[in-house]
Order: sequence, then C-alpha cells, then structure tokens
Amino acid sequence: MELFKNIEIIDLALYLSKYKTLIISDLHIGFEESLNKQGIFVPRFQLDDLFKRLKGILDKVEIKRIIINGDLKHEFGTISDQEWRDSLKLIDLFLEYSEVILVKGNHDAIFEPIAKKKNIKIVDSFKIDDICILHGNKILENLDCNILIIGHDHPVVSLRENSRVEKYKCFLKGKWKDKNLIVMPSFKLLIEGSDVFKEKLLSPYLDDVSDFEVFVVGDKIYKFGILKEI
Amino acid sequence: MINFMKKPYEAKEVEGILNPLVKKWFLDKFREFSLPQLYGVKEIHDRNNILISAPTGATKTLTGFLSILNELINLSEKGKLMDKVYCVYISPLKALNYDIEINLNEPLKEIEKIAKKKFGIRVGVRTGDTSQSERSKMLKNPPHILITTPESLAIMLNSYKFKENLTEVEWLIVDEIHALADNKRGVHLSLSVERLQKLNQNKITRVGLSATISPLEEIAKYLVNEDGNCKIVNVQFIKDMDLKVLSPVPDLIDITHKDMHDSLYKLIDKLIQGHKTTLIFTNTRSATEKVVHHLKEKFPKNYTENIGAHHGSLGKEHRHNIEKRLREGKLKVVVCSTSLELGIDIGYIDLVILLGSPKSVSRGLQRIGRSGHKLHDTAKGRIIVLDRDDLIENGVLLKAAIEKKIDNIHIPDNCLDVLSQQIYGIALADRIHIDDLFELIKKSYCYRNLSKEDFFEVIDYLAGEYTKLEDRNVYAKIWYDKETGIVGKRGRLGRVIYMTNIGTIPDETRVKVKVGNQVVGTIDEAFLERLRRNDVFVLGGERYEFLFARGMVAQVNASVYRPPTIPSWFSEMLPLSFDLALEIGKFRRYVEEKFKSGKSKKEILEFINDYLYVDKNAANAIYEYFKEQFLYLEVPSDNKIIIEHSSEEGKKYVVFHSLYGRRVNDVLSRALAYAISRLEHKDIEFGISDNGFYIGYNKKLRVMDAFKLLKSEELRVVMEKALEKTEVLRRRFRHCATRSLMILRNYKGRVKRVGRQQVSSMILLSAVKRISEDFPILKEAKREVLEDLMDIDNAEIVLKGIEKGKIKVKELHSVIPSPFAFNLVLQGYTDIMKIDDKIEFLRRMHNKVLAKIGKNGSKEYM
Repeated sequence: MELFKNIEIIDLALYLSKYKTLIISDLHIGFEESLNKQGIFVPRFQLDDLFKRLKGILDKVEIKRIIINGDLKHEFGTISDQEWRDSLKLIDLFLEYSEVILVKGNHDAIFEPIAKKKNIKIVDSFKIDDICILHGNKILENLDCNILIIGHDHPVVSLRENSRVEKYKCFLKGKWKDKNLIVMPSFKLLIEGSDVFKEKLLSPYLDDVSDFEVFVVGDKIYKFGILKEI
Repeated sequence: MINFMKKPYEAKEVEGILNPLVKKWFLDKFREFSLPQLYGVKEIHDRNNILISAPTGATKTLTGFLSILNELINLSEKGKLMDKVYCVYISPLKALNYDIEINLNEPLKEIEKIAKKKFGIRVGVRTGDTSQSERSKMLKNPPHILITTPESLAIMLNSYKFKENLTEVEWLIVDEIHALADNKRGVHLSLSVERLQKLNQNKITRVGLSATISPLEEIAKYLVNEDGNCKIVNVQFIKDMDLKVLSPVPDLIDITHKDMHDSLYKLIDKLIQGHKTTLIFTNTRSATEKVVHHLKEKFPKNYTENIGAHHGSLGKEHRHNIEKRLREGKLKVVVCSTSLELGIDIGYIDLVILLGSPKSVSRGLQRIGRSGHKLHDTAKGRIIVLDRDDLIENGVLLKAAIEKKIDNIHIPDNCLDVLSQQIYGIALADRIHIDDLFELIKKSYCYRNLSKEDFFEVIDYLAGEYTKLEDRNVYAKIWYDKETGIVGKRGRLGRVIYMTNIGTIPDETRVKVKVGNQVVGTIDEAFLERLRRNDVFVLGGERYEFLFARGMVAQVNASVYRPPTIPSWFSEMLPLSFDLALEIGKFRRYVEEKFKSGKSKKEILEFINDYLYVDKNAANAIYEYFKEQFLYLEVPSDNKIIIEHSSEEGKKYVVFHSLYGRRVNDVLSRALAYAISRLEHKDIEFGISDNGFYIGYNKKLRVMDAFKLLKSEELRVVMEKALEKTEVLRRRFRHCATRSLMILRNYKGRVKRVGRQQVSSMILLSAVKRISEDFPILKEAKREVLEDLMDIDNAEIVLKGIEKGKIKVKELHSVIPSPFAFNLVLQGYTDIMKIDDKIEFLRRMHNKVLAKIGKNGSKEYM
C-alpha cells in the first residue's frame, strides 16, 4: 500500500521504490535475553521468527539500501554476548542484500563496536530527496524535508467489538507542523506496542494523533481511515 | 484410620496427666476444662494426631498447647529440657503469631510465679518480619516452641544451619487449617510438613485446629494423609447463635434508590448504637470505604474517631492500629471487606453485621463467630439484604447455619506449580534420588494422585529440558542425572532465588484510577484493555469517563452524566457455594409445589415462615417474588433448569436459570458459548451469575442445538479449548508461572512490578504454547481455572443429571425477562467467547469500517 508516491508499506517495513531503499524500525534484538536477565525465563524464539519475517520482505522487492531506523538492539547501556551474536547474524543477513545504514535510536548508544566491525554507517538522520528518516525520540532541527519518517513509539491500534479487543501494529500518517509525518511500527515481534487510543505517545513529534490516518498491518495492509473516527 | 471421638475424657483423667504446678495454675485461672480441652488435651499428651474443630473463642489454642507446655515444664523440672525445637506451630497469619506468642508467654510467667522459679522455656516467632539478629539468636538458642507461617517454615527447611534444630520435633500444630487447606498455600504447606517429617526419625504428632468446616474427614486426611491416623473432635456448634436476616425496608421492590440508601444506613446506625462494638463485613474493599464514608456523613455525631476501615489494600500500620484500638475497646464499629474473618484477637465484639451475602454457610458462621469471643457468649449476627434474591439466598443460608449443614470445601489436587517450587527447594537442600523424591511428594494428601508422567514433566521443566542445550544454563533450575537418578542443585544463585521468591500468593494486578492526582479506586488490568477514550464506566457506584492510561494508572474524568458505555466484569464478588445453591434450589422447588397444588397464600406464607426462620415482612416479600415468577413463567429449581428466551431494549437473551453457583455456571456458560460459537461461527457474548447465565445476541442463534451437544464426558476437553484465548487463563498462567519460578518477582535485588509481570507472562505464555500445549505450568494454569476457580466436577454432575433425566430442562418464551431473570441479567458479569483468529477479526472490523465510510458516500477508501 502506498502512503505517498514512492513510499510503500510492505509488512512492517517501508519501501522507497524509486530509491530501492527499505526502512525497518525498532528491532530490539536481545529482548528475550533482557527478559531472562530480569528473571523471566522466556524461551528464545525471536530471532528465528524475525529472520523468517524479514526474508519474506527482502525477497519480495529489489533492494539497494537497508536503513534501520533506530533501536536495533534492546539493552540501553551495555551489549551482551547474545545481542552481539544476534546483531551480527542479522546484519550479515542484511549485507547479503545491500548496504546497511543505521539511524541512531535511544537504545543504540553503544552500538559503535558492531557498526565498526561490519563497516556500517551510523547517522542521526538520513535524507533522500525530500524524505528524512529519523528515530523520533528527539526533535532534530533544520531538517529540510517534506516528509519525515520516524519510529520509536511502536504504535498499535486496538480494535473493539462488543467485549472483544484485539491489538494490531500499525503505521500512522499525519502532520507535524507543515511537514508530512509517517510513524512506523516496531519490528519487535514479541510485543505489539503502545495503544494509540489510550496511551500518551512519547515522541515529541507526536502530540495529538487523533487526526492521523491508520494503516493496520495484518496478513496485508488495511486502511482504517482517521484515528478518531475508528 | 480417621475416626470421630464419641465422648470427652473425664476431668480427672485430664488432670491426671498434668504437672501439679500446671494443674494449680489452670484450675485457679479457669476453674474447669472446656469441652475441646476435655477432648483434646489428653490425646495430644498421648501423641495422637488430632483435628479439633470449634468456633472462635472456644479455647482451641490452649487445648493445643496445654499438654505441650505441661510436658516442657516436666522436662525443665527434671533438668532434661534440651536446646531444640519441640513444637512447631503454624498459622496463616503473621498477626496471629504475635498473639500466640503473648498467649504462651503469659501462662508461662504465671506458672513460674506459682513455682517461684524459672523454667527456661523459650517461645519464638519467626516470620518474614523477623530481623536478622533475632534469627541468629534463634539459631544459637532455638525456641522450644517455634511459631511461624507456611512460607517461613519452607525457608527454614532450606536453611542449612537452622534445619539442625528441626530434627527432633515432637508436635506440629496447624492453626486455622480451614483457611489453608482449600488453597495453594495449604498445598505448599502440606509438602513442607512432609519435608519436616523427613528430617525427623520419630513421627511428629500432628494437631489441626479449625473453625467451622466440612467435611472434617477430608481436612483430617489433609493433616495426616490417607494412611495416617487421626482423631476428630467436632465441637463446632457449642456456641449459641442469634442470627437474623434483616431488610432495611418492608418492600424490596417499590422503592427508590435513595430511599433504600437512607433506610439502609438508618438500620446500620440503629444496630451499631444498640450494641457496644460492631464488626461489619462488606465483601469488597470499595464497599468498605463507602460504608465508612456514608456513616460519617449521615451521622456525624455518632461516628468520628470511633469508626475504622480494615481491608487488604490499607497499609500494615493502619491495620495494626485498627486491630489495637479494637482490642482496647476504643472503637464502636469496624468495617472490613473479608480481612477480619480469621482468628486474630480483636477483643470484645457483640454484633456482626453482614452487608451482602457471605455466599457460604461456613464463611457466614466464621464471620458471625467473631462476636461473643468467649466460649459461653452468644454469637450475634445480622445479615442485611437489599434485594429479593439476596433475601432468599440468606434465608436459606441462615436455615443451613441453624440446622448445621456446612458446605464442603475443595482441596486443590496435583498443583504442578507448587510442586515445581518445592522440588526446587528440596534439590537445593540436599541431593536426593528421584524415587525417594517421588515417594516424599506422594506422602502429601494434595499429591496422593500425582502420576509419574506429571512428576517427570515437572522434573524436565526444572532441568531446563524444554530449551535448546546451549541455552540450558539460563533455564535449568535443578540438575538431574538420568543415569544415577540423582537430583541436585544447580547454579550459584539458586538459593537466593529460592529464598526470595518462595510462596504461593500472587501479586495483584490492579490499575489505579485517578482523577488528577487523586486515586479514586482500582480496576482490573484486563478491564483497562477494553477501555477506549471517552468510555464511561462504573466504579464503586460512581461513573467515570476514561481519558488515557500510562502504565498502571488510568486517568479519568469524574463529572460525567452519560450512561455507562461498557459493562463491568470480573467482579470481586465471592461465588455462591454449590451446596448452598442446591439448598436454595430445593427451597424453590418446595415453594413451587405449594403453588402448583393450589395452596392458599396463608398456607404458603406459613410454610416460608416455618422453613426459613424469617420474619413476616421477609416471608411476604419472598411470597410475592415467587408468585410473580410462577404466574409469569415457571419457577426453576434444583432439578429443573428453565431456559428462557426473552428480549429487552432490542437485545435478545437466552437466560439459563441454573442455580448452581457461579463456579459451576462459569463452566456451563463457557462450554455452551464455545459450542454455539463453533456452530454459528461468530463471537458469543455471555453473562454469568450465581443464579444462572445468559447468552446475548442480535441475530438468531441455535442455542438449543448447541446445548444438546454438551455432554458430561466431553466437558473437560471442550473447556480446555474454550479457555484458550480467555483473559482468565492468561491471568492464572501468570500466577502459576510465578509460583513455579518461571517469572521471578524478586531477582538480583530488584522487585518486579506486577505490570511488568503481566506483559512478560503474555510473552511467556505464547512461547510455552509453542513448546507444548501440555507444558506442565500451562497444564496447571488450566487445572487451576477449571478446578479451583471454577468447578468443573460439579458442572459435570449437573450435566450428568440432565443426561439421566434427573434434572429436567424446559425451554420457555417470555416477552420481557421474568422476575428471576431480571436480576440475573442485571447482576451477571460478561465475557466473550472468541471464534475467529486475529486476522479474521481484523478483516471483519475492516469491512465494518468500509461499510461505514461507504454510507457516507466517500470514495476515497473504496
């Protein structure tokens, strides 16, 4: 589904068709391990699932560049053995397809060693023509783009019928000042994310999203119209 | 052998075993033995296992301790008192423990005064609150009588050094055993008791002390296991009772909410003012606060510093303060939820008021037994009812109480989560052969039916067999060598993890509801999931508009005048016991027979009056209620389920009048909703109450076809499927995962918030399902829901009754809901049976959106 000309949703990723660029946000590698460290003994399935789902996207379109829009890894301060191993595996997978660029997120402070080892660029934001890709945890001044693409908030929409409620990851499309804004869902498969119907979102780009358009990610992409009218 | 003692000993026989000093002290102080003492003291002296069931204030505790004190004094006089624990006393309440300590030290001092010498007998309390220094003191000089809780006992069993003091225990007393046997704390304790016995060469004499409960044989088995010997002393009914059901108004129907409210508080005030000290039970925390608030507001002169609230959400200090002031006689009235049910000493109470039904005879008796604390005082209880169902229910409850028909408790069986925790503890304490381990566990009554398969699944779980080999060091908790059969500890952190996560009581997940910064109450986390911005819901009788949520806080707006947009669910309400439900059903049947045989109003009123011990007003209200139901439709009863098709405000209902209590109806309604949802391929909404359940719908449903599909022998299989996507299974899984230490509440010095536990447990649940639907902790969660929370066994009995024709099923139609159905629909809490998976649901919702937009003529979305 196209959000703008040349900007298309494919599963949980965005594809800039003109530039053959794929954007993925908030992977949170090492989430299970971080749960283990907190004394929650969740068996590890995430990486296998992640690979399967990513391959489905990577094999669908022609890709020259992969942009990871922040929070590749989960832990803030340190990098664990598991994260190190899994992150390398993941980047190797990406590198099989194209070059990789990392847009820094708030969880990636100590990402440098991995980036260095694999010779990957780390940037605060990435600009292609009038599209700017940034994580969204803080406002970046002087971005000269018409369209901003952010991650960070892991938006989720909850649909309700009678007593039944289900949550789905979703893309949001709206405005920030005079610019167009796209919010990407997370690629963290274990948890849906923040319910845009009731939770206050964190990004300074997102004050009131009630006028944003909602695109739900299911077996395909479903257009649900304006948030406040759902 | 379990047998009831037929007659007490003679006072002379009991005196005969007492040390002259003890005898003098006792007779000076009490003059004569109480009935429990005549039964019990000599038996305990003779090292016979015994279960004593008697009401509060019946000198149970002294019965338990008299011969033990006597023996210790004998030993002391002979200079043979050793530095070891002779008696372990366990109660479920820390507060009770300190009471007991005082109640033991006092007699000791008094006897020492008579003897004019010290005996050197030490009484020590060990609970979670015991300080490190006190604990090390105990290690050097172990108390001769050790007073503790189930959790602290488990910790001591894993304490390398202290364990040494527990190898020559002679007596074990389990107090308030009724409050332990029916839940997982009791299951946990039953294994600890067997572990304690294993440390000892000699057989420990077991003494159980219990309030009113049934069946006593089973509690006795719980105490000593099936092949053990135990004598039972049943003096449950030695206290005189003065019980009444009261209605605040003569007519429970034609009354406005305000008049009812005013009359209710007038009645409560009148009762309080007519007595010295009153204890009120309200069942829920929110109601507790409300009652205190309204009493103060309506009668500011009567209630100032002399009224207090007591419930689990209040701080420990506040609660202790209330208990202390009660004992000192400084309070006129205390309002509590259920928290003062158990036997801590609360001083002189001369009236107990029950606001709302206690839902079971034994609970009612326990509560009312809090008044007249001395043995020969009369226990005085007043149950206040607010509607006609309540009136009938409590009328029957009172009859059963007076006629000594106590409902049966349910002891959980084969709890695999508790088992996991205990095996972990056993493995930490020492190496053990797998066969010996199995044998030890089977000694507990709660695991007498444990199968080898289940046992080995738990072992596999603990040994981390469910994960890949390379990850196993993260997951394995014990070490099990299949070659040698030896089970042992694993990892350096094991002990700390075990000691800081021991126990079975789950953390509660309550979301705080705030107006600005002020907390106005709490809601269930699952309820929050359903809320959308601008939804209106009811909490503690007030309406609130939901604004947004952040973590475990829901912000709301208090000034709303719109009707609720979302019904309440998951009430805190206690379920009606099955046995009491059957009694109510029987009463319904008798009354209907009178109507059918054309008895006059006078005759029927006389019957009601006679049968239920209620006053004229009440009998009249009951009569009118039955008459309306009888004339309008038909009266359902214990052996007649009426299925009523009806509608109200455009919504259609199929109401099942199945008065078997909510635990049974929970099963029947879900099984039926599941069957309908398969037939019709849609989500089914249903509501459950004690008196029945209903299915709500808009388009025609083949309810009866589905109902005919339900068979008793397939019920369990159907229910396991029906539970799969439910909130209740998710929640119970979290509890089980925490008990089995898959989720640690306390890890590396950090305590996890409940919200975090909840999110994690959902991830954990889906991961565990991928391993196996029979993963032991998931299996246990299902068992807990079906057997402990709900009552699948009795639901099966009901279905069998239908299959054999003992219970008739009648399908009837009504234009508007019949009188009995009306309350049922109003009071039930609702849930939903989901049929389609998430993607199908998404498509359906999307089609709805498309349809809506289509109507508005916008083409953009087509």
